[in-house]
Amino acid sequence: MREILAAGRWLYLIAIYAFVVGPMLFVCAASLNSAANFPANFDGITFKWYEAILKYPEFTRAAWVSALVALVSSIIAVAAAFLAGYGMFRSDRKESVVLSTVLASPILVPQIVLSLATLQFLALFGVSSGLAGLVAVHTVHSLPFALRLVLSGFSRYNFSLEEASANLGAGRLTTWWQVTMPLLKANLIAGFTFCFILSFVNLPISLFLTDARTATLPLVMFAHLEARIDPMLPAVASIIVIAAAVTTILLERYLRIRLVD
Amino acid sequence: MPELRLANVSKYYGETLAVDNLSLTIADGEFVCLLGPSGCGKTTALRMIAGFETVDKGSIHLDGEDITRKPPQLREIGLVFQHYALFPHMTVAENVGYGLRVRGKSRAFINGEVANALALVRLGELGARYPAQLSGGQQQRVALARALAIRPRLLLLDEPLSNLDAKLRDDMREEIRNIQRKVGITAIFVTHDQSEAFGLSDRVAVMSFGKLQQIAAPAAVYESPASIQVGSFIGSINDFKGEVAAVDGASVRVDIGGGIVISGSAAHARQGATVTAVVKQERITLSPERPAAGDNVFPCRIGTRTYLGSTICYRCEAEGFSFGVIVPNNPHFAQFETGQPAVAHWSGSDCHVFM
Repeated sequence: MREILAAGRWLYLIAIYAFVVGPMLFVCAASLNSAANFPANFDGITFKWYEAILKYPEFTRAAWVSALVALVSSIIAVAAAFLAGYGMFRSDRKESVVLSTVLASPILVPQIVLSLATLQFLALFGVSSGLAGLVAVHTVHSLPFALRLVLSGFSRYNFSLEEASANLGAGRLTTWWQVTMPLLKANLIAGFTFCFILSFVNLPISLFLTDARTATLPLVMFAHLEARIDPMLPAVASIIVIAAAVTTILLERYLRIRLVD
Repeated sequence: MPELRLANVSKYYGETLAVDNLSLTIADGEFVCLLGPSGCGKTTALRMIAGFETVDKGSIHLDGEDITRKPPQLREIGLVFQHYALFPHMTVAENVGYGLRVRGKSRAFINGEVANALALVRLGELGARYPAQLSGGQQQRVALARALAIRPRLLLLDEPLSNLDAKLRDDMREEIRNIQRKVGITAIFVTHDQSEAFGLSDRVAVMSFGKLQQIAAPAAVYESPASIQVGSFIGSINDFKGEVAAVDGASVRVDIGGGIVISGSAAHARQGATVTAVVKQERITLSPERPAAGDNVFPCRIGTRTYLGSTICYRCEAEGFSFGVIVPNNPHFAQFETGQPAVAHWSGSDCHVFM
């Protein structure tokens, strides 16, 4: 009986890792396959698909757009989460609960609805989306995640340090810069990284808000996929996966920051 | 010269009056303790002086300047927090130098001042450590050095010794007093511990229910309490409720029922008034024999005996009432066993009668 249980536990673990890590490994392997189709039988190792990416300006352009949108939206989301968390924990009022629910609510809305709603909202003011609209919707989408990470930092933060700092002559901005932010560094960096990755890989929330100039990387990948399926897509995907993995490992290793608690 | 003056200061928390019309003047170089039970408003008063609580009514002047609405970071008042509130991500030296750093002082100046402040609290060699690597007593000293490094106009201490063990507490108490004298700074120390307050202060301000009950030298607060709140909060006491039976100048006879009459003293007692007579437990003498003369002589029986080391506490059952007595554990004082008879007596001048 005990052996069966132990075997079951192993199967369970293997299944989890297979389904979580397996597809990513498969994608990485496929990006090195020299066969011209995808998926296809393994034909030999090549890096030509990675070279091919560079020859598609829409890919590199979209990568820059995605990086810019992810960078700006993550900075805004983390800054907003910091201010919200500071206010909630400092004031200790019951409105805080309502506020944290409101700020977390974008998580409950299907992302494609969020995209469509933003489009209509901007149209109401006669504004075309552009990069600003894209950044706005990505910020809204990232905020709940940033908030979760930042709030967990504030829950361990001792607010009498703020008073100590003020007592010693520091204004609020100095206190934030010298005391609050250094002590919440791990949460702020984790929040930023998490939001950046979420934004960078997200397809549906950009769907209605982009044009040829502002197409994000996932959108371009999707468009490419509709036209034809070749191993260039796995190559792009591999770059993203490897970059995310390296970032996560570096953060844990050198800053002892965990993206997931 | 720095002089702190609180005039009719009040603070409400919703409907509750946390500090009620507090007026207080503290002279330059003086050490004053705010003493009272928890919830008496002493910490709120301190936080208003530091600028962390708004003042609802009244005003606070420091050195002639109205600081009632001045933001805390501009007040130049040092505060030592109960839980130290040291910055955990900074070394001891960085903590102590923080106030000078935010004032934009030069690095050389800061290094010199930090060294002075650390030498003052005898932590000269620990500047490179982090707060988490220090003991409670050392952290307390860093907090003190950090508050003094900005050369504040006034030093506030919020129950700074309450997290230390008994021996360390006594040492730190001495040290705080010595440093305060050496620096010559005006200090306000909040505590609920009477011996701490008596041991440290030039004057003790006793607070209860948000009100200042009495401010006087320690001996005056102890020997002549100004109100029933002070009389019953300070020391271990017995209180007897009764009615004034006779008045003769300052001496009063109080009928506490059952034909028992206690003599005491009161400033202005009125015949027939309902009063409380308060006598400190160590001011009652227990003898095997009836004394030749004196006030308040009551034969009794020892109900319980509690051995406390330096003192022994007795619960005495007299006819119709009972009271506690504290006797020094010293062969010059008569000691008793449970159930033994004894005679208790105390002087009328040790028994304060309050309306």
